[in-house]
Amino acid sequence: MTTVHEVLERSGVTPVHIAEGYLPVTHAVAWSAAAAPFIVHGVIRLNRQIQAAPEDKLLLGASGAFCFVLSALKIPSVTGSCSHPTGTGLGAILFRPPIMTVLGTITLLFQALLLAHGGLTTLGANAFSMAVAGPWAGYAAYLLTRRLGLLPAVFAGAFVADLTTYCVTSVQLALAFPDAESGFTGALAKFGGIFAVTQIPLAVSEGLLTVLVVRLLRTSAAADLIRLGVLRKREEVPA
Amino acid sequence: MLAIDAAAYRSPWRRHHPAAKALLAGGLLGCALVLPPWPGAPVTAAITLAVALGWARVPPRTLLRAARTPLGFALTGSLTFLVTVGPDGLGWADGGVRRAADVVARCTAALLCQLLFAGTTPLADTLPRLTRLGLPVTLVEVAALIYRMLFVVLDTTRRIRDAQAGRLGTRSLRAAWRSLGGLGSAVFIRSFDRARRLEAGLAGRGYTGSLSVAVAEIPLKTRFLATAPLPAALAILTTLTLQSLP
Repeated sequence: MTTVHEVLERSGVTPVHIAEGYLPVTHAVAWSAAAAPFIVHGVIRLNRQIQAAPEDKLLLGASGAFCFVLSALKIPSVTGSCSHPTGTGLGAILFRPPIMTVLGTITLLFQALLLAHGGLTTLGANAFSMAVAGPWAGYAAYLLTRRLGLLPAVFAGAFVADLTTYCVTSVQLALAFPDAESGFTGALAKFGGIFAVTQIPLAVSEGLLTVLVVRLLRTSAAADLIRLGVLRKREEVPA
Repeated sequence: MLAIDAAAYRSPWRRHHPAAKALLAGGLLGCALVLPPWPGAPVTAAITLAVALGWARVPPRTLLRAARTPLGFALTGSLTFLVTVGPDGLGWADGGVRRAADVVARCTAALLCQLLFAGTTPLADTLPRLTRLGLPVTLVEVAALIYRMLFVVLDTTRRIRDAQAGRLGTRSLRAAWRSLGGLGSAVFIRSFDRARRLEAGLAGRGYTGSLSVAVAEIPLKTRFLATAPLPAALAILTTLTLQSLP
């Protein structure tokens, strides 16, 4: 009998959440300030949604728990290694980016306090990459490719959200630790290079996993997908 | 239950107010981030470790297991400081080892402070008190709901995984992918189903949108509160003393 936490611990893969104390104080504060308007916007939307339909509060709680568990799943990567999906692409498609920003930030706080993945002072930086940039970029990719069909759009959304998260993390690290000789550009090449080896295959894996999940949801939870505005009535597949 | 949260529930500091523990761990965290990495970070790390293991009695195994992954991130990330990208390609960076050591030391000290707080304070004690810091009630309520549902969803995930493994669902790469897709969708469906049943149960009890939860009163003990800033003060004093040595 294994727990998800044990599975997560045994995977031996370092998450890309920036660890506590890794960023200099000024950078930690600046990224928190950058993420704050998006989080405030998300909280306003969340408030409005709950005021309009108080029963949604419980569904949002379930959605947040689902996002946390999704990011704890171990997925086989194309290169043969294993890692965890960010889950932000699927979250943004299902619940829209502003709500996902709030759920993602809460998930990051819980990951910091329950798993020590990410930190409290680096919460702003991690929230900006994983709960703001990833969901918005993923959702934009999903909308742009939606006319190709649900599943290709879901793949594009999850792939772009995952990759954007890691690209923004690379930028954050390069800004904090510029290369001694070539400055920001050299540091970006170094951090981007390290992440690219694992994250491009992982982004493909996350895209494939998200497609599998949505394909199954299309047959077994079509009503929920229609209610969330992900599935159109004519796209429903009989179970 | 997750290992850090379980340790927090069993902690002898469980009955201390979260604000006092936040002051203690926050003070040390401030030292880890603001003091010069040498000798500030090792001094802060040593004091935090002594407080965590000796005073708060956080299980060393929990501490070690929790620290492994973030330290892996710090070490991997710091490898980039050893090389530099110049016009001639990659080369060894001057002072790269020192820079990497600075970051890893600061990161280790800060991580221990984070684990000191997390390993002694259950989230269930912290969340309801966040409204006093000015956070919106709706946000705190949703966070508390996520926390409560989290363990049920984690348990559901574990059961489905075990059932899939028992049916040879991880035998091949193809089967593993199919199982993972099934797991993700099943967890989604069951989470939503559970939320709906909870909602129906609450509606039957006159639910209007407010989820009032009884929060256990934890008195703010003056003695603990007075001693809370001392470890940070000791870290500052020791660092300054060591720095002034020739």
